[in-house]
Amino acid sequence: MLQITINGKQIEVPEGTTVLRAAEKAGINIPRLCDHKELTPYGGCRLCIVEVQGVRVPMASCTLPVSNGMVVNTETEALKKSRKFILSMLFSERNHFCPFCQVSGGDCELQNAAYHEEMTHWPIQPGWNNFVVDTSHPYFVLDNNRCILCRRCVRACAEMAGNFTLSVAERGAKSLVVADTDVPLGESTCIKCGSCVQVCPTGAIIDKTSAYQMHDKDLTEVKSICTGCSVGCSIKLMVRDNRIIRIEGGWHGSVNHGVLCEHGRYDPMNESRKRITTPLMKKDGKLEPVSWNEALKAVADQLRPLSGQKDGIAAIVSTKLPAETLTAFKDLFAHNEIVTTTEEGMPTASVTKFAEKQGSFEGKLDVLSNADTVLCIGVDAGRTHMVAGFMFKRNMPKGTRLINIDPEENELNDLANLYLKPKAGSDLALILGLQAVIVKEGLGRSPLALPDTDSLIQKAVEETGISRDQLTQTARVLANSITPVILFGKGITAQRDENLVEELYNLAVLVGAVDSERLGLLSLKGEANSLTATLLGLDQIFELNGHKAVFVALGDDYVSRSFVERVSKVSYLVVQASYESKLTAQADVVLPVTVWSEQEGHYINLDGRVQKTQKVFSAPENVRDNLAVLNELATRMNISLESNWKQAILARKSSVALN
Amino acid sequence: MIARTIERDVSAIVQEAVEKHGAKRDALIPILSDVNKALGYIPAEAFQEVQKQLNAEEEHTYVSKSQLFGLASFYDMLSTKPRGRHVVKFCENAPCHVVGGKSVWDTLSDRLDLKNGETTADKKWTLVTTSCLGLCSVGPVVLIDDDLYGNVTPDQIDEILARYE
Amino acid sequence: MQTKRAMILVSNDPESVRLGANELIQHLTEALIAYDLQDEVEISPLSNVGVSNILPLVAVYPEATVYGPVKAEDARFLVEEHLYKGRIANDLLAPPKHLSGNIGWLRAHKGYNPAEQRIVLERAGRIDPENIEEFIAENGYQALGKALTETTPEQVIETIEKSGLQGRGGAGFPTGRKWKFVRMAKGEKKYIICNADESEPGTFKDRIVLEGDPHTILEAMAIAGYALGADEGYIYIRGEYGLAYRRLQHAIEQAEEYGFLGKDIFETGFNFHIHLHTGAGAYVCGEETALIESIEGKRGEPRARPPYPVTHGLWNKPTLVNNVETLANIPAIIRNGAEWYRSFGTPSSPGTKVYTIMGNVNFTGVIEVPMGITLREVINIYAKGMKPGSILRMAQTGGSSGSIIPASLQDTPMDFESFRKAGVSLGSGALLICDQNTCIVDLVKVLLQFFRFESCGKCTPCRVGTQRAYEIVARISQGQGRLEDLDTLISLGQEMERAANCGLGQTAAVPIRDMLKHFRTETEAHILLGSCPAGKCEMLPEVEHV
Repeated sequence: MLQITINGKQIEVPEGTTVLRAAEKAGINIPRLCDHKELTPYGGCRLCIVEVQGVRVPMASCTLPVSNGMVVNTETEALKKSRKFILSMLFSERNHFCPFCQVSGGDCELQNAAYHEEMTHWPIQPGWNNFVVDTSHPYFVLDNNRCILCRRCVRACAEMAGNFTLSVAERGAKSLVVADTDVPLGESTCIKCGSCVQVCPTGAIIDKTSAYQMHDKDLTEVKSICTGCSVGCSIKLMVRDNRIIRIEGGWHGSVNHGVLCEHGRYDPMNESRKRITTPLMKKDGKLEPVSWNEALKAVADQLRPLSGQKDGIAAIVSTKLPAETLTAFKDLFAHNEIVTTTEEGMPTASVTKFAEKQGSFEGKLDVLSNADTVLCIGVDAGRTHMVAGFMFKRNMPKGTRLINIDPEENELNDLANLYLKPKAGSDLALILGLQAVIVKEGLGRSPLALPDTDSLIQKAVEETGISRDQLTQTARVLANSITPVILFGKGITAQRDENLVEELYNLAVLVGAVDSERLGLLSLKGEANSLTATLLGLDQIFELNGHKAVFVALGDDYVSRSFVERVSKVSYLVVQASYESKLTAQADVVLPVTVWSEQEGHYINLDGRVQKTQKVFSAPENVRDNLAVLNELATRMNISLESNWKQAILARKSSVALN
Repeated sequence: MIARTIERDVSAIVQEAVEKHGAKRDALIPILSDVNKALGYIPAEAFQEVQKQLNAEEEHTYVSKSQLFGLASFYDMLSTKPRGRHVVKFCENAPCHVVGGKSVWDTLSDRLDLKNGETTADKKWTLVTTSCLGLCSVGPVVLIDDDLYGNVTPDQIDEILARYE
Repeated sequence: MQTKRAMILVSNDPESVRLGANELIQHLTEALIAYDLQDEVEISPLSNVGVSNILPLVAVYPEATVYGPVKAEDARFLVEEHLYKGRIANDLLAPPKHLSGNIGWLRAHKGYNPAEQRIVLERAGRIDPENIEEFIAENGYQALGKALTETTPEQVIETIEKSGLQGRGGAGFPTGRKWKFVRMAKGEKKYIICNADESEPGTFKDRIVLEGDPHTILEAMAIAGYALGADEGYIYIRGEYGLAYRRLQHAIEQAEEYGFLGKDIFETGFNFHIHLHTGAGAYVCGEETALIESIEGKRGEPRARPPYPVTHGLWNKPTLVNNVETLANIPAIIRNGAEWYRSFGTPSSPGTKVYTIMGNVNFTGVIEVPMGITLREVINIYAKGMKPGSILRMAQTGGSSGSIIPASLQDTPMDFESFRKAGVSLGSGALLICDQNTCIVDLVKVLLQFFRFESCGKCTPCRVGTQRAYEIVARISQGQGRLEDLDTLISLGQEMERAANCGLGQTAAVPIRDMLKHFRTETEAHILLGSCPAGKCEMLPEVEHV
């Protein structure tokens, strides 16, 4: 620990702390612009300069490491004068027309800094040069006229999303922020994660949807969890008048630390489906509005006699619903043969099956942060679960290599150092082939008994269509890595073969991805509560065999055309959903329910973290909570819902440790 | 007196440069310099190629297009926009200025009918000012392609320019 | 006027006169007549030599041999030996240690300028740079051999420290101390970097070494590698120096062939490899952390310091960054010892310096003389005077961020202390000598244009400051300035010095400071009278300020 005295106050900080952070710890705020607590310090704006005893000129506190016994002053007259001058220089550099800018009046850190220094005008004439305003992007505007070249956006694009789309071009006063090789942002490699918007201190990068809606200080902030997929990012909702103005990544989130993907940030803002606002029942072939009582009575009357009968009821629930709802659903339809989810366990069944034998074997997401090689197999981390992809993409300039294996076109193929395109369905042969090469060349970290490695290699080459050289190279690269991680997904798990998972596990152990100290093997699962569903045993494929009734609890989830086809032939279809769809159009009864932001509940993400969503809004008048509807039905059907979700999920061994 | 053949295969040019300098981070500027020399500037496809070839398995040096562009546009000897066949660089710094630089610049600008940074319509000439070339005792100094001219006077300009096709 | 083949300068300040200078001059005159040399040799008085314990002092040109103290009865011996027989009169030579102040006048090699002492440029121009044998024949790689086989790394560092050598790139940091820091830094892997980015306007001294004597740099880097525990070095050479690059490349190949670089040098088990790296046109890359960023394939933006390159440099490893001229001194110091090096120059700035002479003078080029020369000596002796019709008006010393001094300061010795003491920069040794046709406002405008073009753009004070300062001075030069502008310029300069991230921003405003300190009247003439006293600036028609 090091001692530092700031403005007369003495505190102790660990080695490596910067003077700026030390001051914060001492309760002293040093004005700054380019610094951001989640990004590596830059030291460019120079607003944070402080006087250090024994040093002739002031130093930037954001990049200055504390040394033992340092004495620092942050509020001398000379420093105040300097700050004012630096701000004047910034205002003179570009066209800062505050009256027309939507961050003016509280949300602009440049303006706030100037007010803090009691400035009232610009003392230095600007140059009135014109800079590019880029409106080509669907979600945000990049306006170089308001830029202070703090480089937060460049750092965010690099360190949060790992996409490296933004950079600064030219030098000196001609510097400006550009995308790729100076192309319009809307035509660039930008993946629309919005990290740059979230960190921009001025109105240089602004969110189109929420612009001019209200100042942040007048919005209500609610922290919640994104239910878009099983990564489970923390989000911060900015709301007013019962609607979301903007979604931001939650800096507090232990999973995502502030980053979000396009889906988490913008999909809810782009919701275009029509909300169902009243219970509906089919009368004379047409869906008519009815009262809740009539609808629930009809459903209960229909389902009560069928409950427990063979080929009676098939019950399907969406894995986007909270754990409480899933548990209640399971209990409600416990006596029936088919109780499963819309995912039918595709992302999880084989994994959980293997866990029954092996115990918990999957690692946590943060193992991706120090992987030197990431092998992605059966997963497109550039399209789904994107934040998991960010976690290793951002380390690629430091040397992390990516091996991508996918029989289909994969978004990350261009980024991958090695990519293999095996024939569909040849995964087992491929994995065994990789194992065989490693065992044959003696590169394994732990022993693995493999009979006849030559024939396994031959088989791999024949079945996958991949050349022997490519197979060997891939195996060698993987085996020679020091901290490899194997990331897999639906491409593997949808084959529902726990032997496949087991062989992948064996490969992981063989190359040292899994050992006594680290678990460098994880599957990305599917939707928000995929893991919860599988632990509750809701993960079989359903096959309708002349079933009399189907109950689908969809929540606000989507349905595929094939799903609709599979269930709609049944004679009695009940759908509990938030939005109109082809499925609700086919239903006999439609029960309108809450969406994700209107209910609270628990979710377990892909690496075992239990998190909770908040109820942000009240549901529209005639719409009811998902769980409440199930409870009501249970009462009417004389079924008691006794399980507590916390215990229920312990029924099966989780593939990843829960916490 | 160097003519540039812009039609050459960008991928091959990049490959040659990468093979010569290696595929590591410290080879980036030498690689881009070679590409600039071969093509007269660095087109967008070249940045793409450099990124692709460096990221290939052996060295797996990952550098994004934006980082390459930001790098190239920082340095004065690299151009991200096409230039004329012959690039005339005039030293605008104090030592050359004090010994009569301005009149040489005025003559160049007048003869080529170009302002600073401009290229002629027939793409023959680009005229730019540049910083000190390290020949300060024989100023004013003009650099045309790889040819250095010292002690330049305005009446020499026509003859110098006439040497270039 | 008849030109004489030699000149004898005799000090005739009051103290010398008291010690018999007038009699000495008379005896010398008589001796010349006796040997019939009166038409070939000129005698001239010399005032204010600046030394007091070897008077009367006699200097003979063109060899610039300094004798002292010389008594009247020695006159005949001196004339006979030196001017008649052409031999140095050794007994009368002034001991070098007693010479200080203006110039350390020493025996010069044939063909050099008076008082030149070539250490850095000892071979440049005399040997074939592409022939390693010629280098070896002139003490080449001797110092490396001595260091590797006769001294420990610590002893090497101690020698450099004792010699008092300071960085010659402009910053003047004590070289030995820097070497010590790198040696003490934690870590197995260390790097030696030669800063050959030479982009300071008015400076091409490094080019001469790189093109004329490339092996000396390789030798110096290898010695540094041995002393600091590094096995790898980089030479960062500016992209525009194509010939120097080729010569270095060839030199490295030859050195490896002969076993002076590579593995197991001098069979001592010491390995050292040197890579060549080109820049691509950025003055700011001469700053050591920007240079390192550039090698790492990034924009040349200087890093935040601390930590410094000596502990966290290239690839975050301890790194030594030294200028070409600094390194070129190393082999000679190792060969001849620290004491020898201290015998040149001034106590605070030992050794020699390569100065570059440019501007409105008769001779422009490069000279290497002991530290502490004055501008007057440069102009009168080395530059052979101002051009016909030119009167000394001002001179910028040290490069584009160096001081701009009026003629009244031309007797200030230029060394590392002179900027702090008298506001006269040493910097890179660039000397831009300007006559009465130079306008200070026009000159400062040109200098600011350089800085705003070369600013890397990372930090606000430099990026915006150089731009705004340029605009203001440009306006003043067009007759559109206001008196308040001068206050704004002072503020800009102050804040740039205080808050900029690196030396470029911190010193870009020095010319402005000198413009207002030494040439304020001329500047105000542009503002108040709308006229340029030097007749250089093009005034625009008057604009009415409302």
